[in-house]
Amino acid sequence: MNSIFNDPGFWHRLQFGFTIVYHYLFPQLTMGLAWFLVYWKWRALRTGDEKYNQAVRFWAKIFGLNFAVGVVTGIPMEFQFGTNWADFSKYAGGVMGQTLAMEGMFAFFLESAFVGALIWGEKRLGPRGHFGAAIAVAVGSWISGYFILVTNSFMQHPVGYQIEPNGSLGIASMSTYLLNPWAFVQFAHNQLAALVTGSFVVAAIGAFYALRGVHPVQAKLYLRAGTLVGLIASLLVAFPTGDQQAKIVGNHQPITLAAMEGKFEGGSMAGVALIGQPNVAAQRLDNPIEVTGALSFLAYGHFGSFVHGLNDFPKDQWPDNLELLYYSFHIMITLGTLFIVLMGLATLQNWRGRLESSRLLLWVLMLAFPYPYIANTLGWMTAELGRQPWLIYGLFHTRDGYSKVVSNGDAIFTLIGFTGLYFVIGLLFLGLTGREIGKGPEEPAVATIISKPEREAVLV
Amino acid sequence: MIAIWYAVVSFTLIVYIVLDGRNFGAGMLQWFVARTPEERRQVIAAIGPLWTWHEVWLLGFGGTLIAIFPRLMASAFAGYYLALFLILWCLIVRGISIEVGGHINDRLWQAYWDFMFVCSSFLLAILFGAAAGNVARGVPIDGQGNFSMAFFTDFNVREHVGLLDWYTISIAILAVAMLAAHGATYLTLKTEGPVHDRSEKCARYLWIAAVPLLLVVLIESRIVRPDLPGRALFNPFWWIGLVVVATAAILLISGLTSRRELRAFVGSNFLIVGLLATGAAAIFPVMLKSTLAPENSLTAYAVASSSTTLLRASFWWPIGFALAVFYFVVISRRYAGKVSVQHDI
Repeated sequence: MNSIFNDPGFWHRLQFGFTIVYHYLFPQLTMGLAWFLVYWKWRALRTGDEKYNQAVRFWAKIFGLNFAVGVVTGIPMEFQFGTNWADFSKYAGGVMGQTLAMEGMFAFFLESAFVGALIWGEKRLGPRGHFGAAIAVAVGSWISGYFILVTNSFMQHPVGYQIEPNGSLGIASMSTYLLNPWAFVQFAHNQLAALVTGSFVVAAIGAFYALRGVHPVQAKLYLRAGTLVGLIASLLVAFPTGDQQAKIVGNHQPITLAAMEGKFEGGSMAGVALIGQPNVAAQRLDNPIEVTGALSFLAYGHFGSFVHGLNDFPKDQWPDNLELLYYSFHIMITLGTLFIVLMGLATLQNWRGRLESSRLLLWVLMLAFPYPYIANTLGWMTAELGRQPWLIYGLFHTRDGYSKVVSNGDAIFTLIGFTGLYFVIGLLFLGLTGREIGKGPEEPAVATIISKPEREAVLV
Repeated sequence: MIAIWYAVVSFTLIVYIVLDGRNFGAGMLQWFVARTPEERRQVIAAIGPLWTWHEVWLLGFGGTLIAIFPRLMASAFAGYYLALFLILWCLIVRGISIEVGGHINDRLWQAYWDFMFVCSSFLLAILFGAAAGNVARGVPIDGQGNFSMAFFTDFNVREHVGLLDWYTISIAILAVAMLAAHGATYLTLKTEGPVHDRSEKCARYLWIAAVPLLLVVLIESRIVRPDLPGRALFNPFWWIGLVVVATAAILLISGLTSRRELRAFVGSNFLIVGLLATGAAAIFPVMLKSTLAPENSLTAYAVASSSTTLLRASFWWPIGFALAVFYFVVISRRYAGKVSVQHDI
């Protein structure tokens, strides 16, 4: 208890962790949603069907709210490298500052210039221009994702750097740095996971409208697109991208893999624990149900492959919170599996034309949208907790990275400030998004004119 | 090489200040030039669609600063810890108040968010002004290149200084006046009706008020940093900045008197760019002066990344900059002309 209060490193980590997790709730939706907007806008251009334009108008509003909160919560992230992680910035700023700046110059300028046009500019830009704005926003958001993941991949698996005479890091090869193999795997895994979030939210709102019996045309559109994209993206998140991610961790950070699986003793035919609680004090997994050989196969391609256990490594190189890492990883995997099952069922029912009438499935779809957010967050917790005790793997310890001139009290104060401010922002965001969802997409003007006398005729 | 990068990094910050400065200015004046809820919406609509694009310049500055001058970024941001979080929180509140105010058509709701918008804009202008004053005056950097500062100490400009003292406060006041004048000039260009007329009047008074304030700050700077003028005279960028200031002042005055709104706004932009550029050129190569001992000061040469790292950065940075300008040209044509409430919201 006392030790935590006296350890400024803990508070700096907590603040960065809290602000980045909160921030990433918003971009993960916009990165996923952006391609739905592109798709519907493209369908509108091709078919001239007004329902696609309505879908774009409605989702652009939701997108706009997410984008705004993403921007305001994103700006502190970059500055915290200097305020809270000054010693890390001194050491590695010459390398990772490059991609942080690139993100602004190549991605955010593009995204922020066109997002206003996407939300308000439909009339001014015309259909083609509006389609172009949707593509610009989608591409911009994905490029920004890539640059941030290159930065993170450098921390996971440093490449392309050199050690300067003054002991800090510099760029040796820009192309090696930018084309880090870790970044490719992580980008594919992460972007597909964002697409999972996007598709679950789209499907959830479709299910909500279908259950209420409002906006039937739009509900059908959202359900169809959401469940199909959701199924494909959920499958691809698990295989091949999740599988590749596990392999790259196994190859470059074997301690992390052992910790993720709660494996204390190494060996061949290593199993994957379906259930079990890591008991760090006794150095074993309690109550395990294991699939023998699965971990050996998944990580290295053969059932007989040797998988290192934590005890093969000195204890000061173990990730510093094994339990949290283990549970994050395992809950993420479990959720990912459930996503495939749910979206598979929904796609099947949709294909049979029975999705709108399966009320139970609609209820589940409607209530399932928070879980991809949780799975995304847990995935990032696995990545970042697994990297510990390193800030840059093998090069630089986390405890050396924080700002030594910032006192504990200052760090706690700003953490409390962020908590309060972000709570209020969260309330506002939920309230306003709820309002937009309640209002729903506008009905086409023509349809209401026709349907009104018809409805009256039925009543008479 | 380092001098060029110093110019580039200063340039990105100056572009941010001049772009978002008009939003701060418009925000500070919202209550004075717009009385009814509709008029206030008009002010928001004038800055609405592009404020995120403006804020990206701050991110561009932050990222470039980490990459090029990592040790300056580290010691300055950690040293200004609480002040910087105040700026970041104000930016969050400002952004939120722009975005959510229009979502609910209710007078109380909008009045509240307009109030938050005005307050955060004032605070941002004050904080950025005080920050500029701190860079000019120097901060108590120790032998390890670190510092940490209180908000205020004895309000004096020597040795153990605080964030606020008589010098930084007077620069903050100047910043409020100039950015408000800048915002008023922008609103004159972008609005019509009563908001336009009041903004026009505000712009004139504020620019007139800025002149004596600027003179006071110049005289104060001579006292606080007696070493500067001698060095500045040999810096070509300082002379370029001076020419920009003079040209911009002529454009601004002729634009204001002849009611050529675009000319006045161009003048106002370049006046602020020129003033900040002369300031940045004058302090070079010292990026952050130590008030404790001159040898502790952080110079651009001491805090920069290695030359190979700088060289790598100079391959991609111009491309990114050219793209940013290209997007701006594409998109600003869409937003040209006056805003009116009926059409834009």
